[in-house]
Amino acid sequence: MSGVSVLVVDDEPAIHRFMAPALAANGYEALRADTGTEALSLVVNRRPAIVILDLGLPDMDGKDVIRSLRGWSEVPIVVLSARDREIEKIEALDLGADDFVNKPFSMGELMARLRAALRHRMQEKGETPILRLGDVEIDIPRHRVLRAGAEVKLTPKEFELLAFLARHAGKVLTHRHILREVWGPANEHDTQYLRVYVGQLRAKLEADPANPALIVTEPGVGYRTGE
Amino acid sequence: MDPTRADPEALLAAAEREARGKLRIFLGAAPGVGKTYAMLSAARAAKAAGGDVVIGIVETHGRAETEALVAGIELLPRTNIPYRGRLVPEFDLEAALERHPGLLLVDEYAHSNVEGSRHPKRWQDVQELLAAGVDVWTTLNIQHLDSLNDVVQRITGVRVRETVPDMALKKADEIILVDLPSDELIKRLADGKVYVEDTATRAVQSFFKPSNLTALRELALRQVAARVDSDLVARMQGSAIQGPWAAGERLLVCVGPDMAAERVVREAKRLADLMDATWFAVTVERPGHVMATRDRHRLEAGMRLAENLGAEVRSLVASDVPAELLRFAGFENVTQIIIGKARRWSLRAFLRGSLADALVRAATGVAIHVVTADQPEPAGRGLPRLPQAGPLAGYVVAPLGVGAATLLGLMLTRVVALPNVSMLYLLAVLMPALLYGVWPAIIASTLSFLAYNFFFIDPVNTFTVARPHELLALLTFLIVAVAISALAGRSREQARLAAQRMRATRRLYEFTRKLSARPDSASVVEAAAIELHAALGSASVILTTQKGELAIAAAWPPEDRLDTASMTAANWAFDHGEPAGAGTGTLPSVPWFFRPLTGAKAGTPIGVVGIERTAGVPALDAESEGILGTLAEQTAAALVRTQLSAEVTQARTAAETERVRNILLASISHDFRTPLASILGAATSLIDYGVDIPAPARRDLLLQMRDEAENLDQMVRNLLSMTRLEAGALDLRRDWIDVVEIMNRACSAARRRGATQRFVVTAAPDLPLLRADPSLMDQALGNVVGNAVRYAGPQARIGLSATVIDGQLVIAVTDDGPGIAPDVLPHVFEKFVRAVRPGGDGGDGSGLGLAITKGIVEAHGGTVAARSPAPGQRTGTRIALRLPLEPAAPAETEETP
Repeated sequence: MSGVSVLVVDDEPAIHRFMAPALAANGYEALRADTGTEALSLVVNRRPAIVILDLGLPDMDGKDVIRSLRGWSEVPIVVLSARDREIEKIEALDLGADDFVNKPFSMGELMARLRAALRHRMQEKGETPILRLGDVEIDIPRHRVLRAGAEVKLTPKEFELLAFLARHAGKVLTHRHILREVWGPANEHDTQYLRVYVGQLRAKLEADPANPALIVTEPGVGYRTGE
Repeated sequence: MDPTRADPEALLAAAEREARGKLRIFLGAAPGVGKTYAMLSAARAAKAAGGDVVIGIVETHGRAETEALVAGIELLPRTNIPYRGRLVPEFDLEAALERHPGLLLVDEYAHSNVEGSRHPKRWQDVQELLAAGVDVWTTLNIQHLDSLNDVVQRITGVRVRETVPDMALKKADEIILVDLPSDELIKRLADGKVYVEDTATRAVQSFFKPSNLTALRELALRQVAARVDSDLVARMQGSAIQGPWAAGERLLVCVGPDMAAERVVREAKRLADLMDATWFAVTVERPGHVMATRDRHRLEAGMRLAENLGAEVRSLVASDVPAELLRFAGFENVTQIIIGKARRWSLRAFLRGSLADALVRAATGVAIHVVTADQPEPAGRGLPRLPQAGPLAGYVVAPLGVGAATLLGLMLTRVVALPNVSMLYLLAVLMPALLYGVWPAIIASTLSFLAYNFFFIDPVNTFTVARPHELLALLTFLIVAVAISALAGRSREQARLAAQRMRATRRLYEFTRKLSARPDSASVVEAAAIELHAALGSASVILTTQKGELAIAAAWPPEDRLDTASMTAANWAFDHGEPAGAGTGTLPSVPWFFRPLTGAKAGTPIGVVGIERTAGVPALDAESEGILGTLAEQTAAALVRTQLSAEVTQARTAAETERVRNILLASISHDFRTPLASILGAATSLIDYGVDIPAPARRDLLLQMRDEAENLDQMVRNLLSMTRLEAGALDLRRDWIDVVEIMNRACSAARRRGATQRFVVTAAPDLPLLRADPSLMDQALGNVVGNAVRYAGPQARIGLSATVIDGQLVIAVTDDGPGIAPDVLPHVFEKFVRAVRPGGDGGDGSGLGLAITKGIVEAHGGTVAARSPAPGQRTGTRIALRLPLEPAAPAETEETP
């Protein structure tokens, strides 16, 4: 993984102070930006593999940074945000952020998210017809799902939902995003559909449906599909 | 009805009015008071404030000062309407609707459009504009108001042809009175500053007389006064003024002094409720007719009842009762009239038919309900009451006049043979009749009759009458005398009533204005008590409920207690909503007369007003009671208003508290989260990847954890200190401390936290020691330095100095940063006030630091001050802490003066 550069955007010097050595220890090259403007120019000039972005910046709103970046870049973005700001997170995700980490966070958690986001981006580039989620194998052209080699029967809607989640593995998807893509724009707010279908998928695919590992709930935000 | 809740229908009406344009009328008493000028001045201000102001039509009449105001405002061209072979320029309604400005000025509301225009009247054009959502300002003279047309003609002798229906005035959202003293107006007229078509005409001359102008001003004032308080209350309740032309039924109930009054009112209320109708309670007073006290009480009770039940009450004055009722009904668009039929037999009813009969005969397009009394009333006094006797002088003048007439007659008959000497006696009767009223006139006519009989009728010098036709002549003469005196008396009475009403109106207007300026209920009741005292000439007291109990809120002359019996009477009046105390049926031995204060809409009283009376003496006279009633109503309305505004304030305070709490939560969560994130991030880095991190970086992570923990500790200390300061529980452990030492400590603490600025510490030589709490002073100065570090910029120079000025130790922290904005400067020592950082998000720091510094310094008996720019600099901030020095400094230091 050596040589992969990570851009950290935060106006708090303290955050950079502890992130730099930890990122270096994990083999990343840390780039530092204290403002949104600085971040945008660094993405252009240094082409980092991933961006860690704090939403409260002195010169512009972190969400505006996402908006500008998404106009021309597919770089994965992991947002740093306060636990109590669900709306902000949802907005950031809807604007195209890949994942978020609540402040304060443990370094291990942040590293895991970075890995997942990077891997997901690579998988996306592959466009394989067969997707994998843990021990679940999804054969898109044949509409078949195998769990540990045994076929699992899914309704067309369940399959569609699962395929959509698997295609975006490692990324947090907001309720609205999933509903819009799978059920259509008219059903954007019918979260109850989503809860019912996710429950059914978990019952059919998870080893322990009470403690899901494949489809994980992000309370108040949406779902994250397991690594 | 709960007065504190907005009536949903009123809100709906308000919403409808929102969509409509707003109408503002500049109302004047006469041409030339400066309405157009006032309107244009206001319009210029509105335009300057960014409004989309357009002049639809304005008549400048060539006045230069007015024309100067027009310049610069967009002007709609007039349209030319062909009329009788020529083109008449008129206001262009089409163009105005097309242009659809934010605010349109349309002069002369009462103007009649030339034939061929869309509407016959300009006020109708305005209504259309309002309906289209255009705000309109217009001007109006009071004499153009329909309902006042007759009054104006009576006053001025000039018939005004262009009139505006009253509802067109009522629909105004705002009325602005443009007033000018009569003398000044006449002077303006003489100077040619007032435009009238032909200044020389007699009509104009008779119009612009001081007496006329005063009367017109009175009328205008009255119109505006009628709106003052009701407007305020209506606005605060979130309700619009009731639309006077609401669709559906409108009832009118005639209230008279008979026993059926209450029953009729209740019946009307029942009908109004059934039909969901607006209803009026009306009483018509005949000029010159003086009511017995008992009747007046009944009438007033009926009217009060009607008002409490939600009627709009009106008191009209007219000789022809049915005609006046129907005029009012037509004017107010009344659809049904409810009237009581008294069973009392009266000569009047026998001769002329009852009021009900008269109404039925004359009414068109109105339904009439007649309500009968349950019980026949006991017969009244046998004789019809005569008007009140005049003053004593009349009884002296009457015989003198008759004597003079007799002498003159005797002298004249010596010279010439007069066919009818009685004419002289008519003069003798007429004079007291005109001047002193009916009783002196009757005495004069009786005396004249006797004198004429004695001196001039054969047989002369006896009271016997020889010829029957002479007797007839004498009787006719008596009747004529009485009739004339009655007539004269009536017109005098009418004038007196009018004057009295005008005085009362003026007084009421003043009072209402006074009350509406009072901000809280305490000052309202105080003003009311003083006004009552002034109006009625006796001590007054106002009681309101305080903590569920009736207690004195104000009294004049000032008084803070009432005896037990009086309190009982006051409570009784409050509980029953009826008068009590002296002159009433309840506790008449009490030396006070109490009357409940009832809010305009609320059914329950909000307090009691008391007037001091000698115990056992009859109640107030009708006039005083009327004044008391009116003042009490106004006071109640004003109280309701202040209560509403107090509630609004309370809600605002609650919202403010909530805001502060939210800021506290937000700042605490933000300020605590950053150091916590650093500590957790550094710690987990060491745990998970410690092996892969080089040793110097590992040490730096550990140092970071320590620094951030210290940061957290500082914040916790600040929060705790704030709490203790606010609770007044700060306990000072004073000790002798070296100020230079704490200044140095503050700098090194700031550097440890990553401050990059340059610190310069200076101190006066021989600086005395300070006796203060060392850890609190560290905190106080540390916060000021921290503030400078945060806001002055990374390259700033921060100076700390200590000097002694006027026996006080002054510690100043000066920076050369950008300084504090002038609007923030006065608030820097308040809690949760944070400046916006240069290029920052302003969301830094808890906003507590300087507030805590202030608290600590004040706890030591000192003061704090902030200046920006710092003295002697163009930018920067200087924060100075002044602390008192104790004279008993330790021996080793010399105190410097």
